Amino acid sequence: MIEFKNFSFKYKNGEKNALSGINLKINKGDFVGVIGNSGAGKSTFTYAVNGVIPHHFEGDFFGEVMVKGIDTVDSSPSELALSVGSVFQDIDGQMVSSVVEDELLFGLENFGVPHEEIEARITDILEMVGIEDLRYRNISTLSGGQKQKVAICAVVSLMPDILVLDEPTAELDPQSSHQIFSMLRMLNEKMGITIIVVEQKIMLLSEFSKRLLIFNEGSIYLDGSPQEVLKDASKLQDIGVNCPRVASLANALAERKLYEGEVPVNINDAEVMVRNIIK
Amino acid sequence: MKGMLEYSQGDTVIHRLNPLTKMLLAFLLCLSSFVSSHILMAVGIIIINIIVAGMAGIANKAFSLLKTLLKIGLILFLLQIFFIRTGNVILDLPLNLYITDTGLNFSVLLVLRLVGATMPLVLMLTVTKMSDLTNVFVQKLHIPYKYTFAFITALRFIPIFESEMNGIIEAQTARGVEFDTKNPLKKLKLVLPLCVPLLISSVKRIEGSAISAELRGFNVRQKNSGYKKYNFSGRDYIAMTASILTLVVSSFVA
Repeated sequence: MIEFKNFSFKYKNGEKNALSGINLKINKGDFVGVIGNSGAGKSTFTYAVNGVIPHHFEGDFFGEVMVKGIDTVDSSPSELALSVGSVFQDIDGQMVSSVVEDELLFGLENFGVPHEEIEARITDILEMVGIEDLRYRNISTLSGGQKQKVAICAVVSLMPDILVLDEPTAELDPQSSHQIFSMLRMLNEKMGITIIVVEQKIMLLSEFSKRLLIFNEGSIYLDGSPQEVLKDASKLQDIGVNCPRVASLANALAERKLYEGEVPVNINDAEVMVRNIIK
Repeated sequence: MKGMLEYSQGDTVIHRLNPLTKMLLAFLLCLSSFVSSHILMAVGIIIINIIVAGMAGIANKAFSLLKTLLKIGLILFLLQIFFIRTGNVILDLPLNLYITDTGLNFSVLLVLRLVGATMPLVLMLTVTKMSDLTNVFVQKLHIPYKYTFAFITALRFIPIFESEMNGIIEAQTARGVEFDTKNPLKKLKLVLPLCVPLLISSVKRIEGSAISAELRGFNVRQKNSGYKKYNFSGRDYIAMTASILTLVVSSFVA
């Protein structure tokens, strides 16, 4: 679905490569979580997937990025947008209208979706996410979580194969963040959308994603399922990424030879783990 | 005045008029109040304004708008009345000031015209969704979508920048800058340097906004992409005729 071949990028006035030597393959239907310190190249990575790099930001582009078999250099961001939907951190900045319905219409109208199909697309996606009651609401009256849901709906209504989200929950409280991730999981499972999400809350990533990418200083530091990645707690600590508490607990228990299984990624698994040990 | 231009939801006859009709209605009412040279006519137009507002279910808003405008009008009235020295003196005041009948007539008319001309435009905006207005501009008047998009985005960013500015002011207050000074000049001096961080963060935000619009196909939009259609119906023609009649009547009643 997405393939990075020896990809490096340096911003026009940047001192060093924002990303260097990225080799990566992401398969259809995957749910990839991306984490790393600021300046590690996470946002640059998302820009490379949705074509903002090299089409919007200038700089030195090396290697190849293929999305659905097409080189991103050869297509325009608008063309790519039909296969890659993008959601950003700045909730208010990414909105284009003042009413929810118009927000959804914007993309559908732009890409020339047949007018007789539009109504069904809008009702379907709003129903699926469970916000059909917000349709005629003014966006400025919505909560942050609701706004972000609207933003995701607006992008998903274009039926992309891939959804790229750059810190979608940065401005949200824990509960809304969890809701957004549940929504992403649903889109991933029901519609088969490949999801790439950059996120600072590692607990959410380890619970929801199928694959974790840890970026450090412009390259991929760790890559694997959450269970695999979180086993190396010391490696994570070296680059200053926090380990979720349940994983820290499991690693500490493993050090004392009390537990040897998979690292739990949510509270329920951790509870099972602890119960088994106590028995 | 806060929230004056905000859209008030509704499903009245006025709400259901074509946005273009509403524009025309407001514009013609505005024009009528300028061409009317009779105080009673000017009052009549204000009353028409309130009646139309009542039909749209926003009479409360109309009255509060009227109150605000009359306050501004009072200042204008006081400024104006002493400057007209022709006509018969009806009130003599010290300092060589006096009020004449022409002056009184003129000043009252001026205030009423101002009120009558401002009300329809403001009220029209509160019963018309901005998106409908811009859509109809693109479809019926063939104004390029880029311009209307820029306009609507500018409007949308005002409250965003406002909250951003408040954030910056709060941050500076927390560091001990005394913004609560009573001296307006001093306050201005304190606020002006904050425009730089505001500008920087706005440019950043607008860049993000542009990227997100581009990624949702802003560049590939066609002329007939609009989904909502805005056709004229019977009530539109009735409203148009009524507003033209008002203009004609007010220009003939001297």
